[in-house]
Amino acid sequence: MDFIEVQDVVKRYDGHVALDHVSVNVPQGCIYGLLGPNGAGKTSLIRIINMITRPDSGQVLLGGKPIAPADVARIGYLPEERGLYKKMKVGDEIVYLARLKGLDKATATGRMNAWLERLGLSEWRSKKVEALSKGMQQKVQFIATVIHEPQLLIFDEPFSGFDPVNTEQIKHEILRLQQEGATILFSTHNMESVEEICQRITLINRSRVVLEGDVAAIKQQHKKNIFEINLADQAPLPLNRDLYDIVNLQLGTTQLRLKPGVTIHDTVAWLNDHCQLAGFHELLPSMNEIFIETVKNMNS
Amino acid sequence: MSKLLLIIQREYLSLVARKSFIITTLLMPVLMVVCMLVPFWISDVNDNSGARTTVTVIDETGHLTDVIKANSQYEVIPLRGTPGKTDPRKFFKEGPSNVDALVVIPADVLNHPQVNVYSEKAVSASLTSYVTKCLNDTLSHVKLLQHGIPNLDKIVAESQVDVNVNNVKLAADGSQSSSSTDVAMLLGMILALVTYMFVIMYGAMIMNSVVEEKTNRIVEVIVSSCKPFQLMLGKIVGVGLVGLTQFAIWFVILSVIMGFMPHMISGPDAAAMAAASRGADVASLPAMAQVMTTLHSLPLGLIIGCFVIYFIGGYLLYASLFAGFGSAVDQASDTSQFSVPIIVIMIIALYVSLGCMENPNGSMAMWCSLIPFTSPIVMMVRLPFDVPLWQLALSIVLLFATAAAMVWLSGRIYRTGILLYGKKHSFKEILKWVK
Repeated sequence: MDFIEVQDVVKRYDGHVALDHVSVNVPQGCIYGLLGPNGAGKTSLIRIINMITRPDSGQVLLGGKPIAPADVARIGYLPEERGLYKKMKVGDEIVYLARLKGLDKATATGRMNAWLERLGLSEWRSKKVEALSKGMQQKVQFIATVIHEPQLLIFDEPFSGFDPVNTEQIKHEILRLQQEGATILFSTHNMESVEEICQRITLINRSRVVLEGDVAAIKQQHKKNIFEINLADQAPLPLNRDLYDIVNLQLGTTQLRLKPGVTIHDTVAWLNDHCQLAGFHELLPSMNEIFIETVKNMNS
Repeated sequence: MSKLLLIIQREYLSLVARKSFIITTLLMPVLMVVCMLVPFWISDVNDNSGARTTVTVIDETGHLTDVIKANSQYEVIPLRGTPGKTDPRKFFKEGPSNVDALVVIPADVLNHPQVNVYSEKAVSASLTSYVTKCLNDTLSHVKLLQHGIPNLDKIVAESQVDVNVNNVKLAADGSQSSSSTDVAMLLGMILALVTYMFVIMYGAMIMNSVVEEKTNRIVEVIVSSCKPFQLMLGKIVGVGLVGLTQFAIWFVILSVIMGFMPHMISGPDAAAMAAASRGADVASLPAMAQVMTTLHSLPLGLIIGCFVIYFIGGYLLYASLFAGFGSAVDQASDTSQFSVPIIVIMIIALYVSLGCMENPNGSMAMWCSLIPFTSPIVMMVRLPFDVPLWQLALSIVLLFATAAAMVWLSGRIYRTGILLYGKKHSFKEILKWVK
């Protein structure tokens, strides 16, 4: 079942179209990547799902029903531009934001303590936010986003500003939240993290959805028949213009593209006869390459 | 707890806990009282410094030697002088060393009433006025005697009239009360000034707070939890309550201090102080009583009630404008583009109210006390002068209707403004957001 259904949403701002008949379906319990270059319309879409703004036309369903103001309590939103009240104490700030989402004070305080403990911030509870390092502030903001245990989590560039250790920690927490049943919508430019944790993606460019689907399937669709070959000795790869073109030649490792109609079987058989084959595997394009290629093709 | 209450609570607590708030709230009344008391203390110190000022009087006329009498403050050494022969420089050089001032009464003082006071150090103003007073009294007496009419001084004294104009207000129900226009004008002006200062101070505070939330981007997190309108309204109400708190604290501190004030003044030094403040204050005591009676004759309940009502209306009106336009700005330094026009309107209102003091029931005063943007200030000046009830009612209705409209309008501007970054917006663009 799809937890969020964005149906044919249009949003115009003062002469330019930010979202042009955009539809996105996010399955329940999925980690879903929302990709796109700057200014593509990701933030506009997120704001509509968050009910910060309304679509000009189209609608958003949450759990099968049109989204309503009371649903804000079911959504947690971590905006790209982080912000906290700098003069508030860490604990007070988290409790305040949790209560705005509808938690009562006691529950909010209890969960705040547990989360600070978990992320190693307990001793900072009664310090002012401005006294914290940027990474710690990001963690505080992360806690404020998830503390009301929302069914839908929207993260806009969740890893920006984190060092590798903290990135790993937050990634771990996100996966844990998913296992506990949350649906997660990810907006990012960081394609590595997309490959690592997203199951499905939607790529938005120039206000439109240009690519949508399962990450593995998309990679399969975009593969270009390129294989990487490792040779046991340092000898150069023999040429065979009937079977393949060499794309990239390095000592011991070669990337080649099979000619149309040529099978892997034929190629491997021929190579086995002519050189010391040590390894042979297909190169799938990275999401980064797919992203760049799709956007470039569209813009040219 | 509703979200609005939560927001109000946060705004309130975060502002009240600020050091700057605590300091201004506690120090302001103390400062005001100090300003009032310092003149007393200074004269007190002067009087009790122990040393009396020694004044030498050189009388060239020969018959005015004892005109300037010694008292608790001044020691007087009377000397006779030869007309035109007095040399103050020589006197200070060769005369007794303990003399602080030298008064020379010239021979023709009756025809040319000009007396010089010489000294090596600056002479206090009180010595000058003491000398003037002594000479004036005696010289007028002497001059009257020169006319040779017996008892002339008594005749003159009797013929002196000091008309005391008392405004008697005849109410419709036949009762009459006397009111002093000065006191009523002063009261009105104070109320107008307080409204003006408060609205500007707290309006600017709201604007800064809106810009701050926008600058540190917390606003996007908040509006994903509540409606922008709730955030704006919560801010306006929260800051308003902070203002009222400050007000209440000032009021309490000032009344406590005022309660102790008579004790402070009428301490053991009261006599000395009364002497020091000479005349003016003695005369002002009955005046003070008169002020109190006038105050009691004014419809104080109505005035205070109306003040609070106008205060709230005016605050809502301007605070929402500040909040709305604050949302259109990215940085605190850019706020002047919008805050200056708002402040100009308020300054105009303040000037109108100054003008209206002269004629609190004129047409200028009437219109400006009906227009919602000026009424919270201008009406303050009119309140002590019996404003027709229908005008009061109409003005309050207009004010609150406009305030409500402004809150709505600013809410529309606000919900768009807080999410737009990077660009400066003109008034024209901002008006588009309302749609």
